[in-house]
Amino acid sequence: MSDAKTISRRTFLGIAGSAIGATAIAGNMPPMPPMDQPPTRNQPNIDADSFKEETLETDVLVIGSGIAGLFAAVKAHDAGAKVLMVSKGRLGSSGLTPFGKGIFSYDKDNAKMTPDEYLAKIADSAIGTNNPVFTRQLLDHSADRVAELREWGFFDSALCFESFSKPMRERDIPIMERIMMTHLHKEQDRVVGASGFSLDHNTIFNFSAKTVILCTGSGGFKASGFPLCDLTHDGTIMAYNIGAKVTGKEWNDGHPASAKNSGSCYDNWHGQIEERPSTTSEQVNHHLGVDMNYAAYVNGGPVSMGPASQSEEKTTDVPAGPYVPEAFRQAGPPPQPERPSGLLAIFSKDKPQGPPGMGSESVGGSTAGMAIHKSEGLVPVDETGLSSIPGLWASGDALGSYMSGGIYTQIGSSMAGSAIQGALAGEAAAKASQSVTSISIPAEKIAQTKAEILAPLKRETGYSPAWATQVLQSVMIPNFVLYIKKERMLQAALAYIEELKEHHGPMLMASDRHHLRLAHETMNMTITAEMKLKASMMRTESRCSHYRLDYPEIDNENWQAWINIYKDEKGEMQLEKQHFNQWPKFA
Amino acid sequence: MPISEIAGCIGCKTCVQTCPTDVIQFDYDQQKAYIAYPEDCQICHLCRLYCPVDAITITPEKSIPVVVAWR
Repeated sequence: MSDAKTISRRTFLGIAGSAIGATAIAGNMPPMPPMDQPPTRNQPNIDADSFKEETLETDVLVIGSGIAGLFAAVKAHDAGAKVLMVSKGRLGSSGLTPFGKGIFSYDKDNAKMTPDEYLAKIADSAIGTNNPVFTRQLLDHSADRVAELREWGFFDSALCFESFSKPMRERDIPIMERIMMTHLHKEQDRVVGASGFSLDHNTIFNFSAKTVILCTGSGGFKASGFPLCDLTHDGTIMAYNIGAKVTGKEWNDGHPASAKNSGSCYDNWHGQIEERPSTTSEQVNHHLGVDMNYAAYVNGGPVSMGPASQSEEKTTDVPAGPYVPEAFRQAGPPPQPERPSGLLAIFSKDKPQGPPGMGSESVGGSTAGMAIHKSEGLVPVDETGLSSIPGLWASGDALGSYMSGGIYTQIGSSMAGSAIQGALAGEAAAKASQSVTSISIPAEKIAQTKAEILAPLKRETGYSPAWATQVLQSVMIPNFVLYIKKERMLQAALAYIEELKEHHGPMLMASDRHHLRLAHETMNMTITAEMKLKASMMRTESRCSHYRLDYPEIDNENWQAWINIYKDEKGEMQLEKQHFNQWPKFA
Repeated sequence: MPISEIAGCIGCKTCVQTCPTDVIQFDYDQQKAYIAYPEDCQICHLCRLYCPVDAITITPEKSIPVVVAWR
């Protein structure tokens, strides 16, 4: 552990060279960001050759420790499987789960809408982009998952580590935390395990598993102002690399941040992080987010926060932008749920403390790189979230279930959907594990994986992940790239991203395990950026949160379809259409 | 600065484990947590909220430039 505490000469030069550093030097001496440091040869403060390897075996490997991972692990255990959870973070405090304060619960006995009415309204808002099989699961299973969470104490605390630990402890399910997973392994056309490295010591872990459930969430471009910076689509990219189909990359979550302190998640959310969670009931919306980006694009700033109809109201001289279905256009502010909460509470108006930007200026892009919850990730081939690779499941935001479609419709559905999908995947994976007799990861594959994981530590010259991320952000976050899209600009951005991926990616350096993590995360973000640009170019229409300035209309003739992305046998990225309401076959 | 100070640390490592972006490391000689990578702090306050002795101070400004969709 001694490698982490010594301040290198390089870091010292960085500190001494700036005013911030001069004040920090008297205190705790935090190092300067890598991009402010003078360029030097990479001199790692840990020895890449000292990494040990450990191999562990399990029936069901759950990757990720948010709410989807919790339910996947618990339900797989209860279905009789030997379960192991591995996480880049900590149970209940990684991913978006700690910040989801609203969870949808459908009370069959006191429902305001019948299941049929509800499904029709969601399909109307989603303009056909939702998968009704997954939408229906919300109605069938949310109350049961919420009841379990209540029993574990989830609603009694703003922090969910204790309530999540309870069912894991009771079942004695092992959890391995602070491990960055980088590889999935496939043998004879089925998944056989996964590998990653510890953030705390020089160890690479190889997990031999009969089935794997990705509960790795979605991701973004480490933009500022939204608690998403640990999510870099790791699961999706690992799966893509072994041939799984992924989807949903053209959709956009359009959350803005307050112009003031736009980098502070906590201040943007006005301390909502400290609130205890609560349930939400039926309230179907058409939350765009992209409309604000459109208003800012056309008129320039300042732009104030508000729902779609409000920004329309305030900016009447703006030509028609992103389409809003008629039933969701309102003259005044839209009706709010009794107690708005959850990620989208910042769209609501009546919170006592007010959402970010309300009454003051907003800036966009805080969730850049993330699509609508549940609309991006692995393509499911069945209702349990089985992917196109046998033995590999995904659930929650790592699964492209299209529970809501390309638009966020129901406040609290993201948390509920992750719980529901995790449970279904856990049960299905446990059952499937029973018929798997022997699995092993070949030694040469383990050796190759180790070399790929450690490569950034071994490069003496190259590029820092922080710099590459900064370049990626500068290309992808401005509102005229992914929010207000047009062919020429998407092509231009793609040229940058392909350069980063092909030339700079293989030259990323790391001086310690933290920067090794950043190097792998940066590659995952770069591949995601390529997917987002290519899917956005392919979809020559506008629908939900995908808005093309050069194709502003909905094209029902050609685009009643989702876009699936996969890697072909030559390693090239391929895109295909999958018609709404059709299930894809195994890869 | 984002996370700017850890004062009165009791060495429980909870903040190290809790930080989603691996900003905080543990000094095994001093048996105290320290801020290692403030540039990666997303200012979510989870570390502060989980700290059992309220040792962590966080300010709302990022330490690196923020890229936004418009300004």
